[in-house]
Amino acid sequence: MADDPRTAVLAALRQVMDPEAGQDLVSMGLVYDVAVRDGRASVIMTTTTRGCPLSEMLRMGAEAAVLAVPGVTEADVALTWDPPWTPDRIEARAF
Amino acid sequence: MIGRQLSRWTMAWFASALAFLVASLCAAVAGAGGPGHWSGGAALAVVHLFALGWLCQMMLGSLIQFTPVLCARPVAVPGLALPALLLTGGGTAMLAAGFLSLDGWAPGQGLLALAPVVLAVAFAMTGAMLAPTLVGTRGLGGAEGRMVALALVALGGLWATGAAMGWALGGYDLLPVALFEALPLHILLGAGGFLTLAAFGVSYKLFAMFLLAPEGNGALRQAVFGTASLALGLTLGLTGLALAGRGSIPLSLLAAFADAAAVALYLAEIRRLWRSRHRPKTEVNMRWSCAALGFLGLSAALLPPAILWGGRWAEAAAFAALAGWLSTLTLAQMVKIVSFLTWIQVFAPRIGRCPVPLVSDLVDARATGRWLGLWVAGAAGGTLALAAAQASGFQLAALAMLAAALGLVREAWAIRRLRHLDPARRPGRLPPLVLPAPPQGPDHDHTRSARA
Repeated sequence: MADDPRTAVLAALRQVMDPEAGQDLVSMGLVYDVAVRDGRASVIMTTTTRGCPLSEMLRMGAEAAVLAVPGVTEADVALTWDPPWTPDRIEARAF
Repeated sequence: MIGRQLSRWTMAWFASALAFLVASLCAAVAGAGGPGHWSGGAALAVVHLFALGWLCQMMLGSLIQFTPVLCARPVAVPGLALPALLLTGGGTAMLAAGFLSLDGWAPGQGLLALAPVVLAVAFAMTGAMLAPTLVGTRGLGGAEGRMVALALVALGGLWATGAAMGWALGGYDLLPVALFEALPLHILLGAGGFLTLAAFGVSYKLFAMFLLAPEGNGALRQAVFGTASLALGLTLGLTGLALAGRGSIPLSLLAAFADAAAVALYLAEIRRLWRSRHRPKTEVNMRWSCAALGFLGLSAALLPPAILWGGRWAEAAAFAALAGWLSTLTLAQMVKIVSFLTWIQVFAPRIGRCPVPLVSDLVDARATGRWLGLWVAGAAGGTLALAAAQASGFQLAALAMLAAALGLVREAWAIRRLRHLDPARRPGRLPPLVLPAPPQGPDHDHTRSARA
């Protein structure tokens, strides 16, 4: 695993694209929290709107990407809409 | 499960609606209907193939797909989607055949009485799917859900006026309906009521998603809802009068001004949304939706003179609304929705595991833009031809719209078949073109990797 496992997990999440916006999950501000402890990664993320048809797909995609990080043996990716996402969370350099 | 909130029959609703669109435009090119000639059986058939077969079917299919997105909960009784589709398509065909019987086409006799019953069952089924989804804080508590609920009320009024007139034309005098007064209300409840209000509600959510703009339930949206409710209430009151054989021009004018005010407030809200977007380069569906919004403003401006003077004013206003505003918006967003749903069907299981194309990669934006441009030119030409009472100009406009519609049908087919993707990026098996894919087990979705 990389020296900083949290950084490695965030880098993996940057490889998962929101197929509609064309930006990765981190740049879109969809990742609320990342924690890694003893090989177990926990991610809390959201979607641009609560009823988004992509919600579960993005969650599973994030989970698969996190599990591919060397040293991560277990991944728990949870969706939340509290607080709801707003476009202000998009990274300034995203577009 | 992936796609739990996706309707399996959306492509079938769209395909059926597109078939009605092409059929109605072929008939218009052939001369069925035109400036000053909308009361004959063939003209009424063509109008209903377009307004009911094309626009209402697209809207009903879209509402079944997107009401769960607006309300963040699955549609109730999803199994009704197919019977509702079959009955809507069948009811529209029966209605068109019934209108042709007014011109002496014997096989259509009696269908003017039966078609409204079939359509009533279809609309009731759709209502049974949507109403429970809309009830609750996530539905009626939001501006989008409230507007869709209002649209469904208008759909009831649309059906009541249409059924009363259809039965009266067919010789079944069930109500002392005043046809002259009921006709503009029927058009108002359809184009300005059900279709426009539903488009308002869905666009609040979809425009925000496609533009990456902040959603909200601010004062403008509440003002749109209040004014639209007033306009619909007045129109339904007038409908009651008309079905009892009476009419009221002053009240009609008041309803027309309320409609125009609701449109002005909605356009101000969409302008706010557009200006607050975080997506600097907009996509083809949103760029051409701006043309649709222009037609919306035009049709609203034409509404008071249409109520006052009727004739070519009314024809131009109705055409600007149906072909310019509603159809341009529907065609532009259809391309986006088809690509979005196709992406989910094909690439959803791969995300996070391997590189996947973007939704926009599935679309030829330049070709789509060209066809939408031709459609808009046809809709503008048709509106002008109706205002100037130029029959040949109207047929030419219909021909341009037919060519554009066929071009967009081809584009939708190309998206479904992933024709714009490099062959190396296409999977071996593609989902069915129109019918839903067979139900997938949990293995179709991502499974938690058990990597060592």
